[in-house]
Amino acid sequence: MEAQKVEMFIMSNSKFFESHQINGIRERLIAIDDSKWAMISTIQLKDPTTILIVSILAGSLGIDRFMLGDTGLGIGKLLTCGGLGIWTIVDWFSIQKATREKNMQKIQQFLY
Amino acid sequence: MVLSRNKLYSILIMACVAGYIWVCFNMVNKQSVLEPVEVCFIKHFTNIPCPSCGSTRAILSLTKGNFNEAFNINPMGFLVAFIMLFTPLWILLDIVAKKNTLLTFYQNLETYLKRPKIAIPLLIIIMINWIWNINKGV
Repeated sequence: MEAQKVEMFIMSNSKFFESHQINGIRERLIAIDDSKWAMISTIQLKDPTTILIVSILAGSLGIDRFMLGDTGLGIGKLLTCGGLGIWTIVDWFSIQKATREKNMQKIQQFLY
Repeated sequence: MVLSRNKLYSILIMACVAGYIWVCFNMVNKQSVLEPVEVCFIKHFTNIPCPSCGSTRAILSLTKGNFNEAFNINPMGFLVAFIMLFTPLWILLDIVAKKNTLLTFYQNLETYLKRPKIAIPLLIIIMINWIWNINKGV
């Protein structure tokens, strides 16, 4: 793919991925065919900041995990009042990383 | 998060062990004069019980055989008690037989629960339970 398109994609979407993953994504994007651009540019990624806000406000109900698609863990959090409050606090700090990993999984379907 | 077999099993075992410790702690603590320990964030800050507040008390009355009382405190206690009883057994069976039936079951359940036809009724049940919880002031 054209380097200009790839740079544009990276610039507008870098906050959705871990910093160490961005170089890999750039290399893959340059290598793949141009026909995949339509799919990749319209992909729906989850904003780590939004999930963090949800986690702080409604983390005890497991809503953040449900939003990420981890239904099983969400139910676990819901049934235990957010893991007796401990899991809620742990997730305030780990949910952004989890979101970025989810985004990486999503884009990987199109990259390979 | 992509859960591997060992990761899922260790999370479940840790959760079960923590649950058993919590139940035992509450059993011992109930006889003393100490104030009951509240860990629920929502209840602590807003004074409104969350959907699963009262599960501990429900499980405690289940251990005494009071099924009606447990249902009246919080029906979710049954679900939690069921999970706490059967997950360790299932994990043990899986480890002995070197299979991953629980992992497959967990993944299938996740995709099954994401269907709107299943998710919306469950959500409504939880909301009704929550309203009931608030009304009876668990």
